[in-house]
Amino acid sequence: MDNALVVQDLEKKYGKIKALKGINFEVKPNEIFALIGPNGAGKTTALRIIATILKPDAGDAILYGTSIRKNPEQIRPVISYLPEEAGTYKNMTGFGYIKFMASLYTNDPKLRQKYLETAFEIAGLEGRMNDKLATYSKGMVRKIILARAVMTRPKLAILDEPTSGLDVINALEIRNTIKKFAQSGMTVLVSSHNMLEIEYLCDRVAMINKGEIHKIGTPSELKSEFGSQNLEEVFSEVVK
Amino acid sequence: MIRFFTLLKKEVRELLTPQMILPMLIGVLALAFIGNIVGSEGKKSQTGHSVSILDLDKTDSSGLVNKIFTESGFTVDYNTDLTAEQIIKKATDEKTGTVLIIPEGFEDGMGKLEQQKILKHSVISNFSIFATTGSAAVDLTISAVNEYFSNLMMSRSIPGEDPAVLKNPVVTDKYVSLKEKTAHISIDEVTGFITTQTMFIPIVIFMIIVSASQMIAVTIASEKENKTLETLLSTPVSRISIVTAKMTAAGLVSLLMATAYMFGMNYYINGLTGGAFSSSGDSSISSAITRLGLTLSIPDYALIGISLFLSILIALAISLILGAFAEDVKKAQGLITPILFLIMIPYLMSMFIDVGTSSTGIKLLMYAIPFSHTFSASQNLFLQNYQPVIFGIIYQSVWVIALVIIAAKIFKSDKILTMKINFSKKSLTKIRMF
Repeated sequence: MDNALVVQDLEKKYGKIKALKGINFEVKPNEIFALIGPNGAGKTTALRIIATILKPDAGDAILYGTSIRKNPEQIRPVISYLPEEAGTYKNMTGFGYIKFMASLYTNDPKLRQKYLETAFEIAGLEGRMNDKLATYSKGMVRKIILARAVMTRPKLAILDEPTSGLDVINALEIRNTIKKFAQSGMTVLVSSHNMLEIEYLCDRVAMINKGEIHKIGTPSELKSEFGSQNLEEVFSEVVK
Repeated sequence: MIRFFTLLKKEVRELLTPQMILPMLIGVLALAFIGNIVGSEGKKSQTGHSVSILDLDKTDSSGLVNKIFTESGFTVDYNTDLTAEQIIKKATDEKTGTVLIIPEGFEDGMGKLEQQKILKHSVISNFSIFATTGSAAVDLTISAVNEYFSNLMMSRSIPGEDPAVLKNPVVTDKYVSLKEKTAHISIDEVTGFITTQTMFIPIVIFMIIVSASQMIAVTIASEKENKTLETLLSTPVSRISIVTAKMTAAGLVSLLMATAYMFGMNYYINGLTGGAFSSSGDSSISSAITRLGLTLSIPDYALIGISLFLSILIALAISLILGAFAEDVKKAQGLITPILFLIMIPYLMSMFIDVGTSSTGIKLLMYAIPFSHTFSASQNLFLQNYQPVIFGIIYQSVWVIALVIIAAKIFKSDKILTMKINFSKKSLTKIRMF
C-alpha cells in the first residue's frame, strides 16, 4: 500500500540551532503515527512543517503525492493541525467558533452543516455550545479544538500533544476520539512526550531526540527489541 | 472572497467587544456632557451680567453711565447713598462681580475737559474661565461710555466736525488677494474662517491613524498570545486574506471610533468656544471666502480622502509588521510607539508652523514623513496648491506598496512565527530566532 505521508530528509534551523537534522519517516493510510521524544526534541517543528506553517531549510514531505514545500495551498484543505496548547477566540461562543472554522474550509452551506454536526457530536458539549469560550474549562476547550480539527475528516490530522495538561478523564476521552476517527479512515500524526499514552494510542512510533530520529516501529516491536517493559525504557536505551 | 468576509466579520467582532465599546461610549458621552454644561455656563456668563454702581456725583453725566450699562443689558444695582466699603461688601455678599464708583466732580471735570476716573472693583468668587467674562463685558461697556463722552467733548470743542474723523483721520480698507482673485475682507477674518473649517481635520486624522495602528498590532499579537495564529495559518485561507481582513477591520473600527469621538469633541469644542467656531458664520465673510475660491470642492475632498486612506494603510502596514514580531499584546503596544512619534511630529508641526516657508532641514524632515502629506493636504487644497498634494499622494503610494510587500512577505514566510523583537538591558533591540 502507498504511504499517506513520506517525510524526506527534513531539516530546520533557528539561527545557529539545528532543530531538525534530516529526519525521515513514512505514515501509512489510516494509521496513528506518533513522534515521541522529550521537550525540545524537534517534534513540534516537524509537525509545523508538515502543517505548512513553517518552511523546511532542506528536505520535503509528500502527502498523497503532493509536496508540502511546493504546493502548501493544495495541502491545507486536506489536513488539519491542532497546535500544542492551542487557544480559541474567547469572545466567540462554542457554536460561533465551530461555525467560523467550518466557513474557512467550505463555502457550501450543506457541507458546512455536516461539519458542524460532526463537531457537535465529537465535542459533546450539549447545553454549553452557546456559551462564550472564555467560560469553558481547559478540558472543554481541548475537546472543541479537537472537534474542529477532525470535523472536516481531513486526509491527515496533525495533533501536537493533544492531551497536554488534561486530567485523566478528559485525556481518555480525547484519546478515544482520536482512535475512533482513525478507525473510520483518517490518518493521524501525533506528537507527545507522554510515552505511556502513546503506547496505548498509536500503531507505530518514531523516537526523536535532538532533531534526529533514532528508532521507528510498533510499540510491541520496540519493546521486544530492547527487552523493555514500556516505551519510556526503550527511549532511555535508544538515546544512551 | 466569502472566506475574506468570514475573517473580516471575525476580526471586527474581536475588536468591537463590550470592553472596547463601553469606554468609548462613556468617553463620548462625557465629552458631550462637559460640552453642554460648559456651553450653557458660557452662554449664561455672556449674558445677564450684573454690576453695582455707586454714583457719588449724582449728575446727568453720571446718570448717563447708569443708562448706558442698563441699555447694554446689564442688571444694574444703582446706589447713591452708600459708602465705597458698604457697596463692595454688598457686591461681595450678592456675588455681583463688579463695582463701579463714580467720584464726586465727575461732570464738572468733564466740562473742563479733564480726564475722569471711575473706580472699578472686581470681586473674585472663583478662577474659572467664565469668571472673567463679566469684568471684560464691563470694560467693553466702559469703552462705549468713553466713546459717548469723547464724541460729546469733541463736538463741544470743535463744533461742526465729525468726531469719528477727528479720532481716526486714517483708516484701512482691507482686501485679500489669492491667485488673481480679490475680496473685500481682512486677512484675520480669512485665517479665522479657514482655521475653524480645518481645525478638526488634523484631530480626526491623528485619532484614526493612532487607533488603527494600535488595533492592528494588538490583533496580531493577541492571535499569538492566545495561540490561535498557528491554527489560522494552517487553514485553507490565503495569507493575503488574513492580512487584508485584519487591516480592513482595524481601519473600519478605528473610523467608527474616530467618528464617535468627533461627535463628542464637536460638542465639547462648541461648548468651550460658545459656538464661535461653527461653520455658519457672517454671510459677508462667507461670500468673500467664496469669491476667493477658499472652499473645498468634491474632488478636493476626494484628494483628502485618498491621502488619509494612504496614511491609514501605511500606519496599518507598519503596525502589522511590528505587531508580527511581538510575543504578546503588551509588547505590541510598546513596539508601535515609534509610529506614534511619526504621527505626532506632523500633527503638532502642522498646527504651529507653515512647512512651505520653513528651513530646508525641517521641510525635508516633514516631507519625508509620509503622514505629513495628509496633515497638510487640506490647507494646500484651500490655497489651490494641487502640486504638493499630488506629489504627497504619489510618495505615500510608494510607501504603501513597499510596506504591503514587506508585510505580505512576512506572512507568507514563517517569520511571523519564528522572529521576535526582544527588548533587553544588554541590547536595546535585537531580533532573535527561536
